[in-house]
This record gives sequence, C-alpha cells and structure tokens, in this order.
Amino acid sequence: MQTVKMVISGAVNAGKTEFIRSISEIEVVSTERRASDDTKLIKKETTVAMDFGRIAVADDLVLHLFGTPGQKRFDFMWEILSEGMLGLVVLVDSTRPETFRETNRIIEFFTSYRDTAYVIAANKQDRPNAWSPDELRLALRQPPHVKVLPCVASERESVKNILLELLYVIMQRSED
Amino acid sequence: MALVGNIRDFGLSDFLYLVDRGYKTGCLHLSRGDEQAILFFEKGKLIYAARREGEQLGEMLIRQGKLTPEQLEQARQVQNGNTNGMTLTQIILSENMMSQEDLQQTLQTHTEESVYGLFGWPDGEFRFEQGQKPDLNEPVMPIPLPVENLIMEGVRRIDEWGRIKDRIPSTDMIVRFLDQPGAKAKGVKLSPEEWRVFARINGKDTLADIAQKTNLSEFDVCRIVYGFVTAGLVDVVKKPRPAPLTSSSRGAQPMEMPRIKKSLVSRIINRIRGM
Ligand SMILES: Nc1nc2c(ncn2[C@@H]2O[C@H](COP(=O)(O)OP(=O)(O)O)[C@@H](O)[C@H]2O)c(=O)[nH]1
Ligand SMILES: [Mg+2]
Repeated sequence: MQTVKMVISGAVNAGKTEFIRSISEIEVVSTERRASDDTKLIKKETTVAMDFGRIAVADDLVLHLFGTPGQKRFDFMWEILSEGMLGLVVLVDSTRPETFRETNRIIEFFTSYRDTAYVIAANKQDRPNAWSPDELRLALRQPPHVKVLPCVASERESVKNILLELLYVIMQRSED
Repeated sequence: MALVGNIRDFGLSDFLYLVDRGYKTGCLHLSRGDEQAILFFEKGKLIYAARREGEQLGEMLIRQGKLTPEQLEQARQVQNGNTNGMTLTQIILSENMMSQEDLQQTLQTHTEESVYGLFGWPDGEFRFEQGQKPDLNEPVMPIPLPVENLIMEGVRRIDEWGRIKDRIPSTDMIVRFLDQPGAKAKGVKLSPEEWRVFARINGKDTLADIAQKTNLSEFDVCRIVYGFVTAGLVDVVKKPRPAPLTSSSRGAQPMEMPRIKKSLVSRIINRIRGM
C-alpha cells in the first residue's frame, strides 16, 4: 500500500478544516479548537491540533490530506508535515486582508528552501467583499506562473477543482 | 464589490501597488477617527485626492488665486449644462481659465501633499469602491499621476523596522531585479542615495553587502530596497542554502522534492475527477 500526502495550509480560519471535510472519505479527524476557545485555552493546551483526511485512490494507493495547525506555536509541525509531500494548497480567507502577511509567511516557509508544488486557493469567494483571485495575486505578490484559484471550501466541486489544479502542476514536474 | 480592510494590516503602499498593477479604476476611502481621505484612481493612476470627504478642490483653486469665484461658478454651470460628459477640468482648460500646466501643477501639489500625509497613519479603515468616479463638477488632474513615486515618497517616511521586516526579514538576503523593471523604473524619481543603492543591485549582493559598498547604514539600505520592492522594481530572495558540510542521512540535497511518476499522478487525477 502506497500513501501520498498533500498539505493544506493557511492562516487560522482560512478554511482548512472545511476544505478537508468537503472531500475526505472519512470523518475528518480534527482536534483543533475554534479560534475563540483557543485564546482561552492557549496556556493549558499542549496537544498538537490538526486536520486529517483520506481519499482511497485504489486498493494499493491512498491520498492523505493534512491540515497544518494554524497557531504559531506549532510551526515545528510544518517541517515534519511537509517532508515528502506531493504538493501544497495554501488557503486564504479572501475577505480578511489582515491575514495576508501571515499567508505570505506560510508560502515563504514552504517554498523558500525547496521547490514545492503549490496553488493558492482564494477561499470564501461566496462571501460579499471577497477579494478576487487577481487581487489576491497582487496583494500576495505572487508571480504569474503561480495559480491563484477561486474557492469555496464548503463545496465539494470547488475543492475538487483546487486539488486537480494542484495535481496538474505536480504532473508537469513529474517524470515518465 | 468593495475591498475593505485596515492599513495597519495591508499598508497604503501595498494598496497603491495593487491599484497600479491591477489597472484599477475606483475610489479609495480612508478613515481614521475623525480624519478622512478619498483617492480616485483611473486605470491604476491617481487622478484626485482630498483629505476630507466633502473637500472641494474647486474652492482650493479659488483660495490659491488660480480662479475667481465667478470663473468657477461659470465653469460649473457650463459643466452642469453640457450633455457630452465634459469634466470640470476639460471646461476650465477649454475656456482658457487656467493653462494645463498650471492646473496640473496646482492639483498635483495638493494631491501629493494629501497622499504623503496618509503614509503617517499607523492604522485606518480602507474601502475601495471599484468603478466609482469623481464628481464631474470637481477638478481632476489633467495628467493622471503614476503611483510609483507616491510609493517611494511614502517609504521615505518610514522610520522604524516593523514594516520593513515584513518584506525584508534579514540583511542576508539577495536583491535582484524583477524580470522587466525597465518600463516601471523609467518614471520613478530617485534621490541620490537611492540611485547609489539602485546601481548596486546585481542579483548577487546581499543587503549587507550593498550597505558596505555604498557606505550607507543597513537600515537605510533596507528602507530604500523596501521601497523598490513595494514599487515592484525588485525583489529580495534568500541566499541559496550552502551545501551541508557533513553529509546527512538524507543525502547531499536534502531539500529535493521526491521524484514522482506521471502514472501515479494521473491515477490520483482520475480518482478525484470521478468523485
Ligand atoms: N462562507 C464561507 N465560509 C467558509 C468557507 N470556508 C470556511 N468557511 C467558514 O470559515 C470558518 C473557518 O473555517 P475552518 O475550516 O474552521 O478554518 P481553519 O481554521 O483554517 O481550519 C468556519 O466558520 C467555516 O465554516 C467558504 O468557502 N465560504
Ligand atoms: Mg481548522
């Protein structure tokens, strides 16, 4: 049995849990607490919270989706999670420009020392005042070759589309 | 739909970059306490700015002795009466009330001063209304203003590391030109110190190297380069990580992505398509 993994990252509340829940075949294992609880519990909580989803491709192949824990104090987990990953989806809450800097730090973390295949999902496009993918590309200073895609994480078709677009990027760099 | 946020989180210079590169037309409304400002853009360039929501630039032209109250009144009447969408600016010019040069100069000075002051705001709500155009009865600049110079001027006013650190986390990063800065760089006015830094950018030297070679402080070099980055002329990248001295268990190139077979990827693609 071969397993491959993709990492779903993004700032707190970007929609990682929602994204994985929309596509996973198993009930998403999420140990993450809501951000509001979090501030209360920040001192007590010692366990690492993360999302995990799974898609069986065939009897011998499984795709795992890992959501990164959003909180800064779990940065060390990112390194572990990103080892051997097939690709990365960076989710952005398109309605919250105050999270764009954090998003840039996340992209920087995953891409600065390795050539990670990634796409950016401009999430919550169904909400009024969502910044469009084009606007997000400029706000995040992403070069033209990086895909910045519209996304509604609660809709399975939308999530499928993001994963497919990422897979096309991965396909281009894979070998025969 | 409006783009909303706070300039504490998404700075004014970042916004100007977005407007420029996104070729945007619309109005940026800014407010902080009881202070307000509005900036109108057309196709990415600034055409009008006022520091208060109801500020009348027509009246400003009178205060400066550029127009008499009668002239302004007359121009506004012509404007109101005309049906072919002529702007107040076009009427002032076609009626020879002011020369284009004088009108441009007067409005541009006012506009620049209005905008420069905004860079001092540590925070403030912004709302960008796409497509909103200025009142036809207000004088807009005959020649729209490219925003790069505004960005550079804004950055000249930065006096602390906070903002700069966002884009330039260390002086050990390399500065390089973006693919085609040529066209953009042409219109930008640089100070002599900025030119010195600009001339040193070679895609190899770090910020620290440039500081040493130009005899400028690292802070000044970072601030200047931050301006270039914000104006979209250059970017900064980490130095390639040196090869590890001792061979690790992961081999000589620990950061290589695993090689993946096309057949594997296409199996996953087919599976997801079928979901
Ligand atoms: N309207 C809308 N809400 C979303 C979308 N994606 C996530 N949300 C909501 O945003 C909040 C945060 O999402 P969550 O998945 O918990 O974010 P996480 O912190 O990244 O795991 C939740 O209330 C979600 O229901 C979306 O595409 N549209
Ligand atoms: Mg979550």
